[in-house]
Amino acid sequence: MSTDSPDKIIDRSAKLVFSFFISSAGLWLLVAALFAYLAAAKLTDPFFLSTYEFLTYGKIKVSQANAFVYGWGGNAIFAVSIWILARLSQAEVRGSIFLIFAGVIWNLAITFGLLGILDGHMSGHEMLEMPTEVWPAMLISYLIITFLILVIHRSRQIRETIAPQWFILAAILWFPALFLIAWNGMELNPARGTVQTVLSMWYGQSLIWLWLTPVALGAAYYLIPAILGRTIDKYYLAIFGFWCIAALAPWSVVHHLEGGPVPMWIPAIGTVMSIAMVFPIAVASTNFHATAFMDIGKVWDSLPLRFVIFGTLSYTVSSYIGVVFSLPTVAKITQFTIINEFHFNQRVYGFFSMIIFGAVYFALPRITNREIPKGAKSFHFWTSTFGVLLLLLAYLIGGLTHGVLAGQPSLPWSSSVIQSIQPYFLITKFAFVILAFSQLVFVVNVWRVIFPNPISFIESCKKEAGA
Amino acid sequence: MNNLAKFIVGIFLTLGIAWLAFVVGARSQYGDLSPTASVLEDDGTVAEDAELFPIALSGIAQQGAKEYASLGCVTCHTQQVRRVETGFDVERGWGLRPSVPRDYVLQKHVLLGNSRIGPDLANLGLRDYSDEWLHQHIFEPQSLVPSSLCPPSPFLYTEVGEESESLVTITNEEDASDRYIKPTIRADRLVAYLQSLKQDYELPEISFLKSEEEDEVEAVVSVADKSTDAPKWLQDQIDQGKEVYMKAATGGGMCFTCHQVNGEGLVGQFPPLAGSDWVLGSKDRLIKISMYGLMGEIEVNGVKYNNVMAPPGIPPGSLTDEQIANVLTYIRNDWGNSASAVSPEEVATVRASLKGRAPMQMFTAAELSSPVQ
Ligand code: HEC
Ligand code: HEC
Repeated sequence: MSTDSPDKIIDRSAKLVFSFFISSAGLWLLVAALFAYLAAAKLTDPFFLSTYEFLTYGKIKVSQANAFVYGWGGNAIFAVSIWILARLSQAEVRGSIFLIFAGVIWNLAITFGLLGILDGHMSGHEMLEMPTEVWPAMLISYLIITFLILVIHRSRQIRETIAPQWFILAAILWFPALFLIAWNGMELNPARGTVQTVLSMWYGQSLIWLWLTPVALGAAYYLIPAILGRTIDKYYLAIFGFWCIAALAPWSVVHHLEGGPVPMWIPAIGTVMSIAMVFPIAVASTNFHATAFMDIGKVWDSLPLRFVIFGTLSYTVSSYIGVVFSLPTVAKITQFTIINEFHFNQRVYGFFSMIIFGAVYFALPRITNREIPKGAKSFHFWTSTFGVLLLLLAYLIGGLTHGVLAGQPSLPWSSSVIQSIQPYFLITKFAFVILAFSQLVFVVNVWRVIFPNPISFIESCKKEAGA
Repeated sequence: MNNLAKFIVGIFLTLGIAWLAFVVGARSQYGDLSPTASVLEDDGTVAEDAELFPIALSGIAQQGAKEYASLGCVTCHTQQVRRVETGFDVERGWGLRPSVPRDYVLQKHVLLGNSRIGPDLANLGLRDYSDEWLHQHIFEPQSLVPSSLCPPSPFLYTEVGEESESLVTITNEEDASDRYIKPTIRADRLVAYLQSLKQDYELPEISFLKSEEEDEVEAVVSVADKSTDAPKWLQDQIDQGKEVYMKAATGGGMCFTCHQVNGEGLVGQFPPLAGSDWVLGSKDRLIKISMYGLMGEIEVNGVKYNNVMAPPGIPPGSLTDEQIANVLTYIRNDWGNSASAVSPEEVATVRASLKGRAPMQMFTAAELSSPVQ
């Protein structure tokens, strides 16, 4: 035992926490998948389950986003951040019991939050829909976790920090700041009129840009060199990329308010800053892809890396598309259309989740000493890839159709504009079924290495019955 | 980057600056707007007896806003009319003018929304829907708009056995069976809220928009006025018909958006009305398509068209007998056309003869040219 490498010791110290967070994340992923299917089904048939108030479209749709971002996103962020930071600090994870305690509170808060939404206590502000009663529990549990993550980072052996650490730490710290700002502006010291909308829009979009995005970028900065065994190409650019995101992203997110009842300078700044975002996007994609394409065979062979590179490619493409769609001439067509769904799913699924899947597949075997069958991972990869691409294509083409037709005032709304995008809703429903299936495979893969016993138990029972 | 404290200061600084600009900046710029009069005195003050806008929601409407938020209507409906340069909202008849920040200052929860699977509702209260219509729409939108994706909310209603106890009767087109529904208090609140949604006042910073076409029309009308010597009743009917033809807001016919101001239509898409054998021909046909719309292949002056004209009017199919009579009289007497006037009584007769036809069920040319029963 004394010959264990330091990495092994760290992995062992992270085992409990990582397993806890990633298995809860998996459950939330399934919950979100179920909601996603229900919502999509309701758009193809409005009478589907329409007699149940708690299953009405608006509630389901909102619950899906919340389960996805706070449930899956939050838990996955905790798991991956803790493990990567512990590895990079060469420090053991301490206070597991407090981390798990806080994690339980976080999950309970979200559970009650979602039940609150379904029970009719929704506020109607983007990503702040959960009833305010659960906000304190979310904040406190989050702060406990943040504190313990900082403890890991503070006890690092090497003073020098590198890109993955900046991105992940920044994300971990930005969330409570955003949350407090939103809380202050919505509840404690409520803003009047459309200032509320500016705030909630800013919060909702920043959550994706400043919380999910940097964690995924940080994980990619860690995993690509770790798996390929080579350094990041043009690494000196990473620091520029980091500060560009930090400085520009919080400004760029408000361009969605174009033309609305807010002072014109707000969306105008948003648009300019969105265009400036090409710099950090270019940096990240150069760093990732220049490194990965030096050894593309290895990328293909390693499933975790395949997930990660899919994610980073998706990040690059989606971000450039985001820039194009923030140009006023294009925004005029696509604003308020189902292109919004394209952006959301591209970011949280095509980019964030894919990288997290890669990180989990890389970390789990090291942490648990059990391999996940290659076939199962590969199945997950292909179903996810196919599902995501199908989903995004449907939302993209559907969104453009939606926008172009809506822009012709002579076309009646329901019987012409919305009728024409109905086929795309059908495709998304189909895509969500594939994705749900794919996510189920992921969760089974994860649970099987974390809790192998129930399965081996059942199998041994079967054998006995057979004998 | 190696010093954690400096790093933290750095990342909070970048976030903080953006927050200061947007949230604090926006708040101090317009966070304390208050209701004001449509027109200010010369010195910029509000006259003492002036009516102030926007007006506060009634208590029941405020409770309705909560229902609206809690049912997630905002996931499909916006409540903002965009500026003309950035969107088509005014053209679509969703408002008399773009929305401005002041419109929202009295709302506790502002529900602008950012997704439009359904139409904008900022001015729903101006669309002249009756409470009964709205109740039926909330109960089962598809009973009014067959293609609707708006989710039914039957849980806000109780179905009763007797017509006398109910507020709304919903007739099933297929088997002519009736259902009687009675709204719960929550449905009443929601309808009160929906009816209260209107930005029908001008403010110092914004006035109603008149589309360019309307200006053009006025010019044309004034020329036309002088050149015709029709009897006054006919001229009145033509003038009112023209209004219907040109109006692209609730209660209008919006015909010009397809058939154009000059009645020439658009090649390959919208048939002309000027000189059209349809317009100058049978009134019965004209009345029918003005109520129910027209689809499928049609030949106008020897040219084939194959397109769809949804039931005209905003909302679709809502033109009254009088409006139909006027607009038809108008199109039969402009652009060089000259044919007899159509009276509201004639329209009423046709309407009665079509009793039982499903609303919104468009006619086809073939159906119309088959011998009249
Ligand atoms: C799935 C998206 C969706 C949701 C959620 C939704 N609607 Fe709709 N709504 C539509 C569509 C599509 C239309 C256009 C078709 C029609 O008139 O029924 C519409 C139309 C309407 C109209 C008629 C507007 C007009 O000008 O004719 C009203 C009123 C309305 N919705 C109210 C509501 C209310 C109240 C809720 C919340 C309980 C709600 N909607 C939720 C999609 C939605
Ligand atoms: C959405 C665009 C649109 C609007 C608005 C519209 N129409 Fe039409 N109209 C059409 C189309 C398209 C056809 C041809 C339908 C076909 O191909 O079957 C048509 C056909 C007609 C015809 C028969 C063909 C002809 O040219 O004589 C008449 C008459 C007519 N419309 C009158 C009106 C009147 C009156 C109004 C306003 C109350 C109106 N339309 C509004 C699109 C429109």
